[in-house]
Amino acid sequence: MDERIIQQFLEVGRDLFEADLVSSHGGNISVRLGDRVVIKRRGAMLGRLKPHDLVETGLAKNDSGVALASTELLIHRTIYLSTPALAVIHAHPRTAIAYSLSRDEIVPIDNEASYLLKKIPVVSEEVPSGTKEMAETLANALGAYKIVMLRGHGSFAIGQTLDEAFHWTSTLEEACEIALKAKLIGETFIEYRGMSEGYKKW
Amino acid sequence: MNGWTGKILDIDLSDATVKTYELDMEMARLFLGGRGLGARLLWDAVGPAIEPLSPDNVLIFATGPLTATGYQTSNRFSVTTKSPLTGTILDANSGGFWGMQFKKAGYDALVVRGRAERPVYVEITPNGVTIEDAKHLWGARVGAVTEQLGQNDNRRNVLCIGPAGENLSRMAAIMNDGRRSLARGGPGAVMGRKNLKAIVVEGKERPGIQDHEGFRFLLYESRKMLRTSPLTSQALPEFGTAVVMNLINHIGALPTRNFQQSQFEGAEAISGEALTEKYLVKNASCWACPIGCTRISRTQKVEGEGPEYETTWAFGAQCGVDDLAAIIEANHLCNELGLDTISTGSTIGCAMELTERGLLDSDLRFGRADMLAPAIEALAYRRDLGDDLADGSLRLATKYGAPELSMSVKGLEMPAYDPRGMQGQGLLYATSNRGACHMRGNMLGLEVLGLPKRIDRFQVQGKSSYVILHQNIAAAIDSLVVCKFTHMAVGEEYFARVLSAVSGVEFSTGDLVRAGERVWNLERMYNLREGFTRSDDTLPSRLLREPLADGPSKGWVNELEPMLAEYYRARGWDRQGVPTQDKLKELELEEIVNSQQSTVNSQ
Repeated sequence: MDERIIQQFLEVGRDLFEADLVSSHGGNISVRLGDRVVIKRRGAMLGRLKPHDLVETGLAKNDSGVALASTELLIHRTIYLSTPALAVIHAHPRTAIAYSLSRDEIVPIDNEASYLLKKIPVVSEEVPSGTKEMAETLANALGAYKIVMLRGHGSFAIGQTLDEAFHWTSTLEEACEIALKAKLIGETFIEYRGMSEGYKKW
Repeated sequence: MNGWTGKILDIDLSDATVKTYELDMEMARLFLGGRGLGARLLWDAVGPAIEPLSPDNVLIFATGPLTATGYQTSNRFSVTTKSPLTGTILDANSGGFWGMQFKKAGYDALVVRGRAERPVYVEITPNGVTIEDAKHLWGARVGAVTEQLGQNDNRRNVLCIGPAGENLSRMAAIMNDGRRSLARGGPGAVMGRKNLKAIVVEGKERPGIQDHEGFRFLLYESRKMLRTSPLTSQALPEFGTAVVMNLINHIGALPTRNFQQSQFEGAEAISGEALTEKYLVKNASCWACPIGCTRISRTQKVEGEGPEYETTWAFGAQCGVDDLAAIIEANHLCNELGLDTISTGSTIGCAMELTERGLLDSDLRFGRADMLAPAIEALAYRRDLGDDLADGSLRLATKYGAPELSMSVKGLEMPAYDPRGMQGQGLLYATSNRGACHMRGNMLGLEVLGLPKRIDRFQVQGKSSYVILHQNIAAAIDSLVVCKFTHMAVGEEYFARVLSAVSGVEFSTGDLVRAGERVWNLERMYNLREGFTRSDDTLPSRLLREPLADGPSKGWVNELEPMLAEYYRARGWDRQGVPTQDKLKELELEEIVNSQQSTVNSQ
């Protein structure tokens, strides 16, 4: 595998862990390379990835690589086959997960996330991991949004590169932390954005 | 559905008939407009038996569902035809005002067929469509024709050919608004063959918008993005597209002297910075464009629009010329004669190498700025060596015994990026349906500018994914139609939402990109039907076998073969580059490509 691709995985995996966006063994990341997918090996730690932790397999067709791949491979494949994504990051941003428990969408109030994300839908499945239904629900939502929350579980972000999906993931968590802190302060929100109703309707 | 007018205007110049018929809205859903609609209509109208310069070839001018809506840069339109330069499907795309005005005249597309007995021009106004005598305009240059026919940017707009189109130069452009061009691949020659000098439009109907509130929010957000991106708010307005000259030279990807080197010692002298400092009068904008990348420049001899980066390169580094005034004057001359500046400059550069290698007896030598204007004049009027130049670099180099010196793909001259220093750009050129083209996918953004995020320009594995995605996005943007420079600040998801707000039909980002993929595959099927094969998806041997001798890309060739194999697989094509039946079915193209029935001709 091209050394440049391995390097991207190592750097973004480490960054996700250090930014508290995943637990020791949680989350997974992948990229699409033509008709192939490279995904984190099952059980590998994002913060300590080694070259042998990357598994390459077919985008549509199985081969021996699936024996090693992350349990979320089905979701990643489904997303690639039904959206323009070339990279997927699944993370466990804690504040965003907390918000997802009580709402069907997260509408940021800070400038950065308003600008970049507008709104983040929250989708729900009874078995929130690895099922075909969940994969299709997420892929459908990611047809119109760059990042989606799976209620009580975590975020799924798409991009052209891992860098880009990481950008959306960290922006979401930052937005949720800001919203939480604003709520703790408890003072009346002064709207500073023009056409702010538009974000809710995004 | 809003967004489309629902009407196609159809003019047959052979018998001077004018018809109007309804746009098939299922066709609109699948192919959107502009380039996509043009490809769909051309599929039925022009088969392999029709030569590009036959009167039976057609010109399809098409707007898109966003044209004239007022969304940022919604001024654009395209022309689709079979290219006289390449023999491939061709669409060329232009900004300015004409496209907006044509849509306001109440049409999504104009199909021009046949050949008038004598030179004519067409006038489309609220009072009707007429075919007028153009005897007094034949032979006139673009500026004069545009003025005589009453160009007024916001009210009455003129599209015409210059002498190059009349003389059937295979790199003749169609010019609109006196200064913008549908340039690549020689559509001006098709118009010249039809004895059609000009098309004048006046319109008054603003297209409807379904969700005004949603549209306003999208305008607001897009404006913010365009205003905050340094590229669209500073670099392009201040320096024009030539802002990338120094950047491309710096990384060793600026083709120099017919791609013999990848850095030009005179790059600084012909850069966007130099243009602004010495020759810029002001910048200008197309209709509804907040960017304003257009240059109005002046030398001691001329004043006019341009030059763009590609033009500055074509007459500059490609010809070894560092005299920016001469380049500006060459550009101005091409606009007046109606010529594609990329093919013109590149073909002259090819002639210079042929001359220096002793294969051609001419005065064209690298660095001869004084030879640019005479060569361009000769080319437009097919005088002397100009007769060979007018057929493009591939025919020229083949005639003089060295076809490998034509820096072209499928016969279309390559733009200003050396594929040895930008691997993805090479794959983009090799697979582009109209021949080598930088506008079929923004690898400049990914490999150099970091849009949306930077990828390694020398990476080979996985590069096909980026190229395919950006080819599909570009095809979608060309079908909407908006300017690709907005996409440097505004993501494709915005375009999908704008299309939804305008039309009232939900288009996800995936739907929009899928529409682009459908257009790309139909264009591919068109070329296959014309006899093109996998062997045409290649690059000049120089780029595949001659490593760059120095500079930041030293030692590199373009690693096309592994990228191309991956590309075919990822596209869902077989090893010969033919879309599989499963892929055609998935894209809802199966019935179309399996049917030889001509829906256009049956109207």
